[in-house]
Amino acid sequence: MLQRKPRQDFGRTLHELSIAQEIYRTSRAAVAAHGPGRLERVKVAVGELTAIEPDLLTFAWEALTGGGPDAGSLLEVEWHPARQFCAACNAEKPRAQGTWLRLCPDCGQALQVSGGQELDVLQVAFLPDGAGGGELEEGKGGHG
Amino acid sequence: MAEVVDVRARVLAANEEEAARLRKGFAASGALVLNLISSPGSGKTTLLEATVRAFGGRLRLAAIEGDIATERDADRLRALGIPAVQILTGGACHLDARQVRKVMDEAHFPGVDILFIENVGNLICPTSYDLGEDFKVALLSVAEGDDKPFKYPAIFARAEVTVVTKVDLLPHVSFDVAAVREQLASLNPAGEVVLTSARTGEGIPEWCALLEQRLAGKRRARA
Ligand SMILES: Nc1nc2c(ncn2[C@@H]2O[C@H](COP(=O)(O)OP(=O)(O)OP(=O)(O)O)[C@@H](O)[C@H]2O)c(=O)[nH]1
Ligand SMILES: [Mg+2]
Repeated sequence: MLQRKPRQDFGRTLHELSIAQEIYRTSRAAVAAHGPGRLERVKVAVGELTAIEPDLLTFAWEALTGGGPDAGSLLEVEWHPARQFCAACNAEKPRAQGTWLRLCPDCGQALQVSGGQELDVLQVAFLPDGAGGGELEEGKGGHG
Repeated sequence: MAEVVDVRARVLAANEEEAARLRKGFAASGALVLNLISSPGSGKTTLLEATVRAFGGRLRLAAIEGDIATERDADRLRALGIPAVQILTGGACHLDARQVRKVMDEAHFPGVDILFIENVGNLICPTSYDLGEDFKVALLSVAEGDDKPFKYPAIFARAEVTVVTKVDLLPHVSFDVAAVREQLASLNPAGEVVLTSARTGEGIPEWCALLEQRLAGKRRARA
């Protein structure tokens, strides 16, 4: 996934980096509303039609949070594929990842595309300051 | 113990709010606003030049040009006598609503009928940033290959109009127009497709007719 041509990779990561920044801002605001604390896990929904690649997004998240107060926090991506729906059959038509059906394989009617536009911060888990996480647990270095 | 908070917020909420404000302003002014998206060099600026020439002053046109660097694209359109403002993103791969807001606050395109926003040349990043436009236009030049809609489904699923550009080059490249139409039909059943050549002028009248139709539709909805 990350073995792309350098230039292209740079461009893509830059894009995911600006999205990661927005996620970070939203997550930090959610924590701040509950008092000081350190991010542990952020769960986001990413749809297939958002032009965002989950691998590059988590890579960007690590680059963004690394070295800061929230280093080691985990970005969990919930992937939402787009669906192709046949109104005539009143049913969703399965397709292989990365391929699209031209017409309904069962009745030949045109299909509708739905979903895949998700780009949401769903949930934030954080350790409130002084709640006895991180520093008190010796010998767990590398865990984050 | 970790505390868990349900957030349920759009990641791009700030941009979407700004875009909604822009859209309201554009609705009040009655201007039709397009967000043009394609890879670098697909022919966005050249299509705008041909559009300006084709309308020949019959409609008041204006442009916002997004580029990483240089005022070149805005200069090309100013040379044809329409107001154009260049936004330099300084490295960012897309325009966002705040940048467009700033231009609208400063520049004012008084009484403009159609405002073209030419996004930074990039088929991926601009897709998720709403600029308050009436619709997105995706451009695909025949030199880029006929497999692009399925490779970049996000933009082609969202663009209400796809313009296949540089069709004068069709004899020199292997580009199956029918295959592209098929891909677009499955990603975007309601989308429109226009074939143009800025070189020969083919398809430019159809493109301009589409613009006039959309503008009339917007004005009717407002009346
Ligand atoms: N043969 C042919 N060439 C074209 C046509 N339209 C544009 N070109 C050429 O394609 C090149 C790029 O055109 P531009 O209009 O600058 O492309 P752009 O999409 O605005 O590029 P960026 O703003 O850099 O992303 C130029 O050399 C144009 O002359 C066309 O219809 N036919
Ligand atoms: Mg251009």
